[in-house]
Amino acid sequence: MPSYLAGRIGQALLVLWAAFTLSFILLQALPGDALLIKYQNPDMGLSPEQIAEIRASYGADQSLVLQYLHTLGNFLTGNLGYSVSASVPVLDQLATNLPATARLAGLGFAAAVLLAVGIAVLANLARFAWLRTAIASLPSLFISVPVFWLGIVLIQVFSFRLKLIPVINPPEWQGLILPVLTLAIPISAPLAQVLLRSMDDVLTQPFISVARARGASLPWILWHHVARNALLPTLTIAGILFGELIGGAVVTETVFGRSGLGQLTQQAVDNQDASVLQAIVVLAAAVFVVVNLIIDLIYPLVDPRLKKSLGANA
Amino acid sequence: MRISRRLRSISAAVAALALTTTLAACAGSAGTGPTAAATSDTPVAGGTLVYLEQQAHTNLYPPSGGFYPNGGVLNQITDKLTYQNPQTLAIEPWIAESWTSNAALTEYTFKIRPGVTFSDGTPLDAAAVAKNYDTYGLGNKELKQPVSEVINNYDHSEVIDPLTVKFVFKKSSPGFLQGTSTIGSGLVSLATLAKSYDELGSATNIIGSGPFVVKNEVLGKEVDLSARSDYKWAPKNAANQGRAYLDGIKIVVTAEDSVRIGSLLAGQGDLIRQVQAYDEDQVTAQNYQVHAAPTKGVNDSIAFRPDNPLVSDVRVRQALLKATDSAEIVSTLFSENYPVAKSVVAQTAVGYVDLSAKLKADPSESKKLLDAAGWTLGADGVREKDGVKLSLTIYESLPQPQNKQVLQLVAQQWAKVGVKLNILAGDAGSRTVDNLDPEKTPLTVAEVGRADPDVLKSQFYPANRDALLQKGGSSTKVKSFSDTTLNALLEAETSQTDLAQRLKDVADIQNHLIDQALVIPIFEEPQVFAAAPYLKGLAFEAVGRPSLYGVWLEKK
Amino acid sequence: MSASTTTLDSPPPVVESGGRDVRPLLSRLQPGLLIAWLVVAVVLLWTVLPGWFTQYSGTAGMAREKLLPPGGVHLLGTDELGRDLLARIIHGSAQSVTGAFVAVAVGLLLGTLLGLLAGSLGGRVDAVLMRGVDVLLSIPGLLLSLSIIIILGFGTVNAAIAVGVGSVAGFARLSRSEVMRVRRSDYVEAAFGSGGTFSKVLWRHVLPNSAGPVLALAALQFGTAIMAISTLGFLGYGAPPPTPEWGLLIAEGRKYIATSWWLTTFPGAVVVVVVLAANRISRSIRKGSS
Repeated sequence: MPSYLAGRIGQALLVLWAAFTLSFILLQALPGDALLIKYQNPDMGLSPEQIAEIRASYGADQSLVLQYLHTLGNFLTGNLGYSVSASVPVLDQLATNLPATARLAGLGFAAAVLLAVGIAVLANLARFAWLRTAIASLPSLFISVPVFWLGIVLIQVFSFRLKLIPVINPPEWQGLILPVLTLAIPISAPLAQVLLRSMDDVLTQPFISVARARGASLPWILWHHVARNALLPTLTIAGILFGELIGGAVVTETVFGRSGLGQLTQQAVDNQDASVLQAIVVLAAAVFVVVNLIIDLIYPLVDPRLKKSLGANA
Repeated sequence: MRISRRLRSISAAVAALALTTTLAACAGSAGTGPTAAATSDTPVAGGTLVYLEQQAHTNLYPPSGGFYPNGGVLNQITDKLTYQNPQTLAIEPWIAESWTSNAALTEYTFKIRPGVTFSDGTPLDAAAVAKNYDTYGLGNKELKQPVSEVINNYDHSEVIDPLTVKFVFKKSSPGFLQGTSTIGSGLVSLATLAKSYDELGSATNIIGSGPFVVKNEVLGKEVDLSARSDYKWAPKNAANQGRAYLDGIKIVVTAEDSVRIGSLLAGQGDLIRQVQAYDEDQVTAQNYQVHAAPTKGVNDSIAFRPDNPLVSDVRVRQALLKATDSAEIVSTLFSENYPVAKSVVAQTAVGYVDLSAKLKADPSESKKLLDAAGWTLGADGVREKDGVKLSLTIYESLPQPQNKQVLQLVAQQWAKVGVKLNILAGDAGSRTVDNLDPEKTPLTVAEVGRADPDVLKSQFYPANRDALLQKGGSSTKVKSFSDTTLNALLEAETSQTDLAQRLKDVADIQNHLIDQALVIPIFEEPQVFAAAPYLKGLAFEAVGRPSLYGVWLEKK
Repeated sequence: MSASTTTLDSPPPVVESGGRDVRPLLSRLQPGLLIAWLVVAVVLLWTVLPGWFTQYSGTAGMAREKLLPPGGVHLLGTDELGRDLLARIIHGSAQSVTGAFVAVAVGLLLGTLLGLLAGSLGGRVDAVLMRGVDVLLSIPGLLLSLSIIIILGFGTVNAAIAVGVGSVAGFARLSRSEVMRVRRSDYVEAAFGSGGTFSKVLWRHVLPNSAGPVLALAALQFGTAIMAISTLGFLGYGAPPPTPEWGLLIAEGRKYIATSWWLTTFPGAVVVVVVLAANRISRSIRKGSS
């Protein structure tokens, strides 16, 4: 087990380094850079010589290899640098935006799971076939509505027409309702579909008929057989979604005017703010590998069949 | 081309006139700011104003204040040496009680008002002012603080006594006095100037002497300002001389247009910036106020890069000028707050001449000119010459109102005479790189707001913004184009001391730009705000940044 | 290796689909399937013969007829430049369908190739490839797709490529797990046992048998791709004007949501209908394959 864990951590570090390097190369491939965008702007009124001086003061005149090593060295020593476009320490930006995104993403994911379970259970409990069909096609509807549109409509209805929830300066818990809902609806769709399928699979198994014949209720069956079956895929999707959420919340954040890593990422790409982007990549990659590591470790606990293979490896 | 950067050096003539305080009579008709919101009612103190901005501020180093979101913050927390009256454009006392200059305009001496302090308690005295201007005039390499565009030919400062400071220039600097009134010349404490440029994006690091103080900031989302109770150094001619009426201001970034406007109308905000023309009816229908502040500079226009062979022929450019129907654009997309351009500069700009006769749309004349230039209609409806299509490319300019729609209408109008206009949407990096290359961008969108006749030089002179991309200017990609006539006119105009001659020079420049069809002016660009009906006393500085010092809330 | 294998083996990610739902009740839904195919057919006709369906241009309008509500002359109304909305939707179908097709093709081809290689070669190749997929997944998708658009230039096809690259990892994981599942099955073992070469077995048995779920995901991705392109338009990374692409129509129309509701509603409704149809078809493919 420990050696297995060491191997996994080694792999995780490798993924981190690769993500860092790949993103550095990607940023170099973009036309122009943050300094050019900021200082070549005619509005700054700077002469070509003044711009060259500024570039030199940021080390932008060095070779790419040197810049790479410099950036890598800074990261390893915990120096994340400054955002060129916003002129604030990157660390401060992360400190402002990370908790906001974590809250939104965490609650959004939880709400998505609830919504998905709700849909799956309702679809199976519904008395009429047409109702079941309608409920079962909800996930398809959910993924065919653009998130920004959903957000704007929710705001128009609940905030502007019904005046239930303010968008500007809302109390924190109240302000989260609409954004969480906006984020949760599209995420719940794939989860609901997985659940619907698992239920479908389980309910057609022969032992279910036996159980039902013995008087077990449908909710009891769903709880005992479906829940465990569906947990694995849900966990897997969770691992992938969580990484996605960091950038994926951008639309929700923009529409609701919330701070968060998504918005920060988009602005940093717009301005090609390399130090901000590198920090976000490392952060996102770290979350991704950690979440996936945890999920890998949880799997055997959830599904005993996997214990053996894990044991063999250890 | 972000809308209106700072007012730069005002002209020799205007400055000289301001010195003798006779400007008001001459330029009185030039500026009519929408400051009419002030009513006869007695102001009520108290309350917090919620101001919804479209974008977060960036660096708040005062010379970076031209960017509207920056100016919106800086205009509330910093004071300037002088105040430019937005109606008359005259320069009036503020932190400086009085000033003198030598005849050659190479030395200016300011007498500082006693008793002014920064919000960190340090005095705003001659030494502090000297340090501010040394930084803005020379920059600070160590701290990466760049030079201000407003201050030219700066040499050094001399502190004569605790309340008297003298600035010495290498060459005559006629625009300096007006420059001291601009958003880019806000005074900040020594503690702020000691910080690296990299850290001046945090509003809490900006310590000014203004009527409001930064209390709290959530990066990229919100800035909370609170009123300074001991403020008593407003511009000499301001109605209010004490502390601000408001207790505080919450500046909240709300990027989405429909959310900003909906929030205002639903009572969640009091004042919003950036209201599109198609949303104005929504605002007025509910008896809310629309404030359109003119930016008094170069109109929203399309500028040519004649270095590109496709547009090097003046007949082609004239043809495109005549193919453009700016009246149709304005009536389709805009409201009465967006006047159709009648010249290169706005009617509210100093030195404006009415050239509307030369700007009339005339498609048949346009076709004739293109025929004469040798461009014949191809099978696909696009003109061609020697196998080359008359197909031009322009980047959409994000800060300009409905620019994407404007350019699409222009494309439709040009298509009628057989010219193809490709509109590119692009990221900032590609746009910056391509806009320096006349081969890739034969056209560009141009606009500068500035209450100053010098705005023309600033927009078109190769050493400044270089909108036409001339040889020896900002781009190394230019092969040969240089308009020596234009440059000579611009140089003459900026060094002219005789007002009448100067206005004539400004008129000549406008005529030259239109006769050579170097620019296609479309409309006069305003800064449009919407406010709740109970908001009173809203004023704007000379080029449309809100001043919230005199604002009060009738009821809330 | 094995534990991470479990991660990869398990059902596919984000875009995972339209399961067989509640199978008994779906058998009654055949008319639904018919309608779904009909929707697809109409949209395909729009792309090929837009002139049959509308007399108006998709890119040029009459400035005087701006922002007209739905009515007799302009069935779905006009936009801010006086362009007929229905015409823009019909002419935009070519862009949107091409975009969605390219997005799916990029994801499907690259992803399946990676998955097939990893799944069938196994061992070290598998480990390296799947760690590569991990790296791809660990970089925020937003950064990746925006950067790709910046490098390739703004336009529907380039945005589609960016969206496609974003789905490579999903396709790779799914196809790999399918290949592994099929490989372990008795008949493939038997095929190997009876002396089949690796490539032969792969081509004859593994590929056809793992294709079903992958194709189902592909059909589903169609709708997701249109959504993703629309979101890019919202973020300012859409095709240059006057391209009438569906996602862009929704994104641009949202600005008029309080004043001219039709501009965002109708393109949105079209996308919803097409995505539902694609989902329905995706479901039937999955069902057919199982």
